[in-house]
Amino acid sequence: MTQRRHITLVAAGATILAALPLATVFERWTWIVGVIITVGLMTGVAVLLRTVRAPMWAPTVGMFVTYAVALTLIFGNNALLGVIPTPATFTGFNSLLEEAGIAIRDSGVPVDDERGLLFLAAFGIGAVLISVDIAAVVARRPAIAGLPMVAIYIVAVGTNSESVNFLSFIATAAAFLWLLATDNVDRVRRFGRRFTGDGRDVDVWEPSPLAAAGRRLAVIGVIGAVLLPMALPGMTTGLLDRFGSGVGTGGNGPGNGGGGRSGQVNLFSILSGTLERDKIYNMIKVTTNDPAPFYVRFGVAEDLRANGFVNRAWGTGTPLNDLKPLPAAPAGVKNLNFHAAVEIITFDASFLPIFETPTKVEGLDARQWQFDRRSNVLYSTRTSSKNKRYEFDYTRQEFTPEALRTAAALPENSPQQAFRTLPQPELGPVKEKAAELTAGKTNQYDKVRAIFEYFTNGKNGFEYTTQTTAGNSGSAIVDFLTNKKGYCEQYAAAMGWLVRAAGFPARVAFGFTRGNSTNTGTYTLQNKNLHAWTEVYFEGFGWVPFDATPASFVEGTVPSAWAPDPNQASQPATAPGENGAAGPAPGPSGSAATGDQRFGEGDDGAATTTPEQLQEKSNWLVYVLIAVAVALIVLVLPAVRRAIDRRRRWRSAAATVGSPSAARVDSGGIEVSGTPGRRSRREAHAAWDELIDTMIDYRVPVDATETPRVTAARLIRERSLATTAADGATLLGRAEERARYAREPLTGTDLAPALREVRSALRGRVSTRTRLMATFFPPSVIMRWRARTSTGYTSAVNAVAVRRDAALRTVNPRRLLSRRPADKRPGSR
Amino acid sequence: MTTQRMYDDLGSPLTAAEFRSITDAVVGNIEQVIEGKTATVRLALAVMLAEGHLLIEDVPGVGKTKLAKALARSIDCSVRRIQFTPDLLPSDVTGVSVYNQESRDFEFKPGAVFANIVVGDEINRASPKTQSALLECMEERQVTVDGVTYPLQTPFMVIATQNPIEMEGTYPLPEAQRDRFTARIAMGYPDPAAELAMLDAHGAHDPLQDMRPVADATIVRRLIATVRDVHVADMVKQYAVGLVTATREAPDLRLGASPRSTLQMLRTARVVAALDGRDYVLPDDLQSLAVPVLAHRIIPTAEAQLARRTTDQILADIITRLPLPTDRQRSPYDTRQRPQQANPTNPYDRRGY
Repeated sequence: MTQRRHITLVAAGATILAALPLATVFERWTWIVGVIITVGLMTGVAVLLRTVRAPMWAPTVGMFVTYAVALTLIFGNNALLGVIPTPATFTGFNSLLEEAGIAIRDSGVPVDDERGLLFLAAFGIGAVLISVDIAAVVARRPAIAGLPMVAIYIVAVGTNSESVNFLSFIATAAAFLWLLATDNVDRVRRFGRRFTGDGRDVDVWEPSPLAAAGRRLAVIGVIGAVLLPMALPGMTTGLLDRFGSGVGTGGNGPGNGGGGRSGQVNLFSILSGTLERDKIYNMIKVTTNDPAPFYVRFGVAEDLRANGFVNRAWGTGTPLNDLKPLPAAPAGVKNLNFHAAVEIITFDASFLPIFETPTKVEGLDARQWQFDRRSNVLYSTRTSSKNKRYEFDYTRQEFTPEALRTAAALPENSPQQAFRTLPQPELGPVKEKAAELTAGKTNQYDKVRAIFEYFTNGKNGFEYTTQTTAGNSGSAIVDFLTNKKGYCEQYAAAMGWLVRAAGFPARVAFGFTRGNSTNTGTYTLQNKNLHAWTEVYFEGFGWVPFDATPASFVEGTVPSAWAPDPNQASQPATAPGENGAAGPAPGPSGSAATGDQRFGEGDDGAATTTPEQLQEKSNWLVYVLIAVAVALIVLVLPAVRRAIDRRRRWRSAAATVGSPSAARVDSGGIEVSGTPGRRSRREAHAAWDELIDTMIDYRVPVDATETPRVTAARLIRERSLATTAADGATLLGRAEERARYAREPLTGTDLAPALREVRSALRGRVSTRTRLMATFFPPSVIMRWRARTSTGYTSAVNAVAVRRDAALRTVNPRRLLSRRPADKRPGSR
Repeated sequence: MTTQRMYDDLGSPLTAAEFRSITDAVVGNIEQVIEGKTATVRLALAVMLAEGHLLIEDVPGVGKTKLAKALARSIDCSVRRIQFTPDLLPSDVTGVSVYNQESRDFEFKPGAVFANIVVGDEINRASPKTQSALLECMEERQVTVDGVTYPLQTPFMVIATQNPIEMEGTYPLPEAQRDRFTARIAMGYPDPAAELAMLDAHGAHDPLQDMRPVADATIVRRLIATVRDVHVADMVKQYAVGLVTATREAPDLRLGASPRSTLQMLRTARVVAALDGRDYVLPDDLQSLAVPVLAHRIIPTAEAQLARRTTDQILADIITRLPLPTDRQRSPYDTRQRPQQANPTNPYDRRGY
C-alpha cells in the first residue's frame, strides 16, 4: 500500500509540474493557487484512503468528492457550510464556464486573472489529476497518464500564436518521465533487491544492466526522430526554408480551413506542401473571357517577421453585395472588365481563388463569404471552398512603366506604412544588397524594377529548385541570396524583403499561374501551377504585381508590360505575352488568347511535343531500358554463375585421360605423389562438386554426414537411375572416395561422360518447374550466396561486438570502482 | 615395449592376392560351421587381425561358442578354452606358482591364458574377481604372478561369449573389462534358409570335427603385418576422433568412449578395409564399426534408459548427425531431412533379443 501511496504523491507532483505550461497563458501566477489547493486536497484524501487500505474504488470516489468540494470552497456560491455544493453551486460553475468561454473568445494571451478562467484552470487540472491517478495508480499504466498531461501542454501551445517557451515542454516531459521512472523502480522493487553480478546492491539512481537496452532504444528513437523529417520531402523544406514558410504561426496545420480564427492558415506550407507532391492533380477550373488573364489569386502574406513573411488575419470583411466597381483609373492605367467562372475541383481552404479585382460575385452565400479589401481576399469564417462553383465580374488593371514612374512617395499617415516594416534587427547583407541594386535610380518604379530584374535576369545565375540547401549564415534569406537556388515562395519573399529594405510597401501573394490554357479560354489549374509572387504598393495606383521567379522555370507565367522578362528583350514591351517555354504548346490554333497564337507560330501549332518533352521522353525510355537490363542481368546472374562453374568443372573433369599409372590396389606403402596424382585428385573433386551441385539443383537432398559411396548409392536408389547413369554415379562416388581417402586417386578415367549421364538422368526425372528453376535460379548458387552473405554478416556483427566490448571496457568507469585488481578479473586474462 | 617387440616378430607383409586368398579361406572354413553369418564371421576375423579381443553376446543357442571354436580351429595355433563358472579362481586363468620339491623352488605353472587363442565361455558366469584376472593379459599381453612378468604369445586373442546380463546367475562385466574387448558382436538368429541348411549339415555329426586349419600363427602374424600398412587419411582419423568425441558429448550418454576405443576402432577399420580389398580406410568402415566397437563401452543416462534408447540407437543417431570432416572448400549444404529415430541398419547388429 505504501507503494501506491508513493505513486499517488508522485502523480500529484507530476500533474502540478505538467500544469506549469499554463503560466504562458496567464498574465500572473494567481491561477496556480487554486490549482494547488484543489490538487492538494484531492491528493490528501487519496493518500489517506490508501493508507487505511480502503477498497480499490474508494480513493477515486474520494477524489471526485474532494474535487467538487475544493472547487466549491474556492469558487462556489450558495454552498452549505461553505464546502458542500448545492445545485445552485453547479449553476454558478456553469456560468463561470460561460464567462471563461467569452474571455477565451475575446481576449488574447496572456489573459488576465478573470474568475472564469481561474475556475477553468482549477477545474481542468483537477480532471487531469483524476485521469492521471486512475491511469498510474489504479490501473498501473503510467504511460497512459501522459495523454492528459500532454493535453495541458496542447492548451498552452494552442492558445499562443507564437510557439511557447521550450521550458514548457521540458516541464511536461519531466513530469511524464518522473511518473514513468517512479512506477518502474517500484515495479522492479517488487521483485526484490537489485544487485550487480558482483553481489553488490544497485542503488536506484544507478544504471542496471537492463538500462543498456533502454539507452539503446532512446538513442535509436532520438536519431529516428531527427532523421525521419529529413527524409520526408514535404518536411525538408519546412525545416530548411524557414524564411519562406513562416513556421511558427501556431499549431494550425495547412488544412485548417473552417475554423473560427480565419487567416491563421499558413499559406506557405500549403503552397510548398502541394508543390512537393509527386502526383499531379487538377485543383480548379477557371473560365474567363479575358484574352490574357493574369494569375488567379487566393491569398496574401502581409507581415514580415525575422523568419519570413507570414499571413495575418483577414481584416474587415466587406459583404459580397457591397462590392463596388473600381474608381476610375489614373492616367496610364487601363481598367479592363471581364467575367470569369470558377469551379473548385480539389481545393479545400477558407478562401477562394479569384482574379483581381472582383466587382460582383455570384453563386456564393453572401452570409458566409466576405471580401477583404486590404488583402483582396475572398474568405469565409464558417465554410470552406470545397466543391464551390461561382462566377464573378472583375477588373484587371494594366499599368505602364511611364505611369508608375510618376508614383508619389507614400504619405506618413498612410495605412500602407505597415507594409514597409522590417524585422529588427535588420539584416546587413539584405540592406546592402537593396542599396546596391537601387543605386542610381531615382524613382520607386525603377528601383523596384531593378530588384525585380536582379532575380529574373538569367545573367545573375538564379536557379529554380524545390530542393533547397541550407547555408550557414543563420538567415534563410541571406542563404538564398548567396546560394541563388530556390522556388517561387523564396523568390517572392526575397523580392518583397528587398523592396521593403529599399523602403517601399511589399507583400507576397499566392495563387496559380496561368497553366495550360485550352482554346476556349478555360484553364485547368493543377497543383504544380501553384505560385507565389510579390506585390508592391505604388501610391495612387495600388498594389502592382511583380513575379520575381525566373520565367523560364515556371510553366504559365505571365510577363507584364511593367515587369517584362528581361531575358526576352526582343518581345514588344507593351503587349502582355505568355511564356510557355517549359510547357507544351497549345494544340491546334484558333485560340482566343493572342499570346497562344503568337507562340504557336514557332512550331506551326501542329507539333504535339516540344523538343524538351521529346528529350524527356527518350530519357525516360533510356532509364527504363537500363533498369530492365539491370534487372535482367541480376536475374540471370545465378544461372551464369552456375554455367561458369559447370563449364570449369567439366573441363577439369575431362582434362586428363590416359597416363594410366599402375592402379595399385594392393598394399605396399609406396606413396604416389606428383603431378598426375594431384591432378586426378582435383579432377575427381571437381566432378564430385559438380554432382553435388547438380543434386541440389534437382532437389536431391544432400547430407553432410554421408560418405561419397553412400551418397551415390542413395542417389541411385532414390532416383532409380538406369544402368549407365547408375554406373556413372558409382564411378563418381568411387573417384571422389579415392581422391579423398586413398593413397592414390583413381587415374585414367574420364569422369565427364559419367557426370553428363547422371545429370541428364536426373534432369529427365524432375518436374518442368524444377528444371526451369535449376536452369535460371540454380538452388546451389542461391544457397551458396545466401550462406556466404549470412556468414559475412555474422562475422561482421561479431567483429563489431568485440570492438565495442573492448571500447566499453576501456571507458567503463566501473573498472575504476572495482575493488579487485585489474589483472585478476576473468575478463582480462 | 612389447608392441615394438611383437612388430619385429611379425614377419613380412603379404601381397594383396595372398591376403585375399588366405582370409577368404578362413572365412569359408568358418562358414562350414556357421551358416549365413558372413558379416559376423568377417568381423570376428577382423578383430583377430586387429590384435583385439572379441566379445560375443547373445541369447543361448545361437552359436556363440561354435563361432569361437570354429575361428580357433581354422588357425593352426594353440587354443585354450576356459569354461567360466562361479567358482573359477583367478589363478586358474593366469597360472600359479607351485613349490617344486625337487628343485626346492617355486615353479610357475602357466594358466589357460598362455595360448594364441583363448576361448572364454560364458564369461559373465564367473565372479568379477576372476574376470579381473583377464585385465592385465588382455591389454598388456603379459601375466604377472608373484612379481614375475611372463609375456604372452603373438597372436593373442580372447574370444569370450556371454549371455545378456539380464539373464539370471550372471555378473555383469566391469567397465574396465568391457573396454578391453575390441568389439562386441551379436550372433542373431539365422534366417530360415540358413537354419534349414544347418539342420542338414549338423544332423549327422558335428562339422566342427571335420574342420582343418587353413592358416597358422606365422601366417596370422604376417596378415597382421599386412593390415598395419593400410592407409588412413587424416580426414578419416579426424572422423574417428570426432565420433568418439561425439559420444563423450552426447547428452544421452553418461560415459563416452575411451581413447583406447579410438585406437581399436581405427585398427579394426584397417582390417575391414583390407578384407574389403582396399588399401585405404573409408569413413564408411568407421561408420559400420561404430556400433560393434563402441556400443558396449558407453553407458546411457538414466533418462535415455527410461526412454528405452539403447546404446546402439544412440550411436546410430550420432553417426547420422556427425558431418564428415573435409579438407577443402565444399558446398555448404545440408538439405537432407534427418529421420527422428534412426533405425540401425548395421550388418553386425542382429542380436536376437
